[in-house]
Amino acid sequence: MERPIFKPIGTNTEELDTPSLIVDVESLDHNIAAMASFFADRPAKLRPHVEAHRTPAIAHKQMTAGGHAGGIAVSTVGQAEVFAQNGFHDLFVANLIVTPQKITRLCALARQVKIGVAVDSLANAADLSAAASAGGARLDVAVYVNTRLNLYGVEPGGPAVELAKAVVDSPGLDFAGLMTHEGRILCEDSEDAAKETRAAVQPVLDTREDIEQAGIETPAVRAGGTSNYEVVGGLDGIGEVLAGSYALLDARHAPHKPQFKVAGRVMATVTSRPERGYMITDGGQKAIGADTGFPTIDNLQNPRVKGLSAEHGSIYFDEANGGSPKLGDKIWCTPWDAATCANLHDYMFAVRHGKLESVWHISARGRYQ
Amino acid sequence: MRDYRCEPGTPISDLDTPCLIVEMDALENNYRVAAEAYRDTVCKIRQHTKNVKSPLLAKMQMEFGGSNGGVCTAKVAEAEVMIEGGITDVLIPNQIVTRDKLARLCALAVRGDVKICADSVENVRAVSEAASRSGVEIGILIEVDTSMGRAGVRGQRGAVEIARAARDLPGVAFRGVMSHQNVGDSFRKEERHARGRETIQICLDAKNAVEAAGIPVEIVSSGETFSYDVAAQIDGVTEVEGGTYALMSTGYAYMTEFQIAGKVLGTVVSAPRPGIVIGDVGTRAMAGPSGVIPSVDGLTGVEVESIHDEHIVLSVDGDAELSVGDKFKLLPAHQDMLVNRWDEYTAVRNGVVEEVWEIPGRGCYH
Repeated sequence: MERPIFKPIGTNTEELDTPSLIVDVESLDHNIAAMASFFADRPAKLRPHVEAHRTPAIAHKQMTAGGHAGGIAVSTVGQAEVFAQNGFHDLFVANLIVTPQKITRLCALARQVKIGVAVDSLANAADLSAAASAGGARLDVAVYVNTRLNLYGVEPGGPAVELAKAVVDSPGLDFAGLMTHEGRILCEDSEDAAKETRAAVQPVLDTREDIEQAGIETPAVRAGGTSNYEVVGGLDGIGEVLAGSYALLDARHAPHKPQFKVAGRVMATVTSRPERGYMITDGGQKAIGADTGFPTIDNLQNPRVKGLSAEHGSIYFDEANGGSPKLGDKIWCTPWDAATCANLHDYMFAVRHGKLESVWHISARGRYQ
Repeated sequence: MRDYRCEPGTPISDLDTPCLIVEMDALENNYRVAAEAYRDTVCKIRQHTKNVKSPLLAKMQMEFGGSNGGVCTAKVAEAEVMIEGGITDVLIPNQIVTRDKLARLCALAVRGDVKICADSVENVRAVSEAASRSGVEIGILIEVDTSMGRAGVRGQRGAVEIARAARDLPGVAFRGVMSHQNVGDSFRKEERHARGRETIQICLDAKNAVEAAGIPVEIVSSGETFSYDVAAQIDGVTEVEGGTYALMSTGYAYMTEFQIAGKVLGTVVSAPRPGIVIGDVGTRAMAGPSGVIPSVDGLTGVEVESIHDEHIVLSVDGDAELSVGDKFKLLPAHQDMLVNRWDEYTAVRNGVVEEVWEIPGRGCYH
C-alpha cells in the first residue's frame, strides 16, 4: 500500500511528497466535458472505460457530464465489484470471463446491478447460461468479434451469427449485440487513422445486419476508444464507444488528440546531480510504469530519458543558462500509458491551480481477477 | 484481490487467476544457497527487500543463515514497513532528499539503526539538519558509481569530501561506502566474477581514499545477486546487498544455482485459432519494461507470442494441448516490478497452497 503523508487541503502541490500521481482537476474536467459534448446529440453514446483510471471519483464525474449510455465499462470482475460498491449500477465487463469462480461472482453481481459481459465461444456462453440460470441472475452478453487486433473473438460473418443465435437461445442470457476492440489507432495523418478505423469496424457492422436479417433484434455495436472515437462515434450502427484514456490522457495519446489536455502526471524529485546535463530522479518504473513506453518530461530543456530503473529516472537535459535544476526540484513526468500508472498507485492527488483539492482512492488498483 | 484469499490446502488447480504464487521449495533453495555461500565468511548478506517487499520473507533468510541481520530498502516507506515488521538494522542505498522523507527517516531512527547513502555534501547537510532538529543520528554511507552510470560519486575526491562532512556535521555518523553494479555482458561464471571484482574495486578505491584521509570505514556494502559469490571473497567487502536471488527471474537464468520461485498463474480464456490460445495475464499484472516478455513454465511446445494490457498470446505446437480453462504458469523476466503489482503472495508447495502473505511494501514509493 502506498504510504503518503496526507497534507491539508490547500497545500501547494510542490509540497506533496514524490513520486506521486497528481491530477489537474481543471484539465480532467475539460477532457470529460469535451468527450461528453461530442456524444451529447448523437445516436452513439459513450461508455467510459474505467480501467483507464480505476477511480470511482473520476467515473462519477464522467457519469455526471452526460453523453453516455448510462453505464461504464470495466475489464475484470474485480473492477466491476469495486465500481458496483461505489454506486455504479450498469457495468459492462469488456472481456471474456471463463473461470468458475469469476462466473459465480459475475452472477452474484448481476442480482444487484445490470451486468454485461463478452463471449467468443459457444462453450463459454453455455457456462454463463448455466450459472445465470442456476443463480437466478440475468447477464447481458455481447458477442466479441475479432477484428484488427487479431487477439481473440469469433470471426465476423457466419461464426458470429451462429454464436449470436446461441446466446439468444440461452436461458439466463440477454443478447446485447456485438462488440469489438480494434485497438488504438494512432497515425500521423488523421485521414489514415479514419480509414483504418472504418476498415476494422465495418465487418462488425455488416455482421450486425446479417443477424438482423436472420430475424434477431440486435442492439447497436460497441467499439472504439479514445484514439478513434470521432470516427467510430459517427458510424451508423454504433451504439456505444468504450473510451477511457481521454480522462487522464497520456504521452501516447496527447500528440494525436489536441482537443484533450494531459491531466494525470507523476511529480518526481531530483535526488542526484552526478554530472552536468544529467539528473537522477525518484520516479522510476515502479511509480510511473514503462510497460509500453517511457514517460515524457515536461519541465526540462530538451529532456532525453536515458533509462527508467525500478526506482530511478535517469534523464539528460540541456543545462539552462543561469539556473540549473538542483536537489529537491520537482520534475513532471507524463506517463506513456496512464492506465498502467494508475494501476501502480493507491491514491491520486487532485490539484487545482497548484493547490491540493482532494485525495482520490484508486479503488480498483490491482483488481486483476 | 484481498476479498478472495484462498484457504491453506487449496490445490493450485482451484486458484482463480491471474495469481502471484511463490513456490516454497524454490524459495527455500534460494535462501539455502545464500546461507551456504555466507556461512563461513566474515562478509554477510544484507537482503535487499525492494524485491520481496515483505519483512516475513526477509526474516526467512535470517533464519536460514548467512545474513547480517539487517536489510536494505529502496525507500523510506519500505524502511517503515521493515521496522514495523521487527527488523531494526536498515540501510537505504538511495538518496533521501525531500523534507517529508527526511522527517520520516528521523522518526525511524528513534526505533532502528537507520543508514542512507549520499552522493553529495549538500545532501549530507540536509540530513544533518533534519537529524539535529529531531535529536537523532542517521548513518551515512557514500554511494559510489562503479558501472551503473546512475547516482553515486564519480572519483575518490568527492567521496573524501562527503566522508569529512558526515564525520564533522551533527546528527549524522559516517559509516562507510556502498555501490551497485550491473552484470553487463558477463554471464559466464568467470566473466561474472571478473566483472564483480573489477567494479567493486572502484568502491574499495573510494574506501581506501577515505581511510587515507584518516577517516575509518566501518561498512562496505556492495555486490548483489550476480556477484553474490565473488563479492563475499573480496577483502574489504563487509556485506552484500542481494535481493533478486530470493524469487528470481528469467533475466538471471545464468545463475543456475537459484530457481525461479515467484511465478504468475494464468488461465486460458480463448482458443480463437489453431495453434493459438489467449491467457488472462497481461502487462498490468506481469509488469516489466517494454518489449521484455515472460516465458511459459514447463509446457513443452508452448511459447509466448506477445503480451497485451490484460492478455497474453501463447503459441501451441501440434503435440501440446492447452484448452480454454486450462492453467499455465508464467516466469517473469523481472521480479521486483512484478511483485510491486500485487497485494499478496500465495505460497504453494507440491501444487497445494501453504499460506497467503501480504506484501506490505507494495507501492511504498516515498
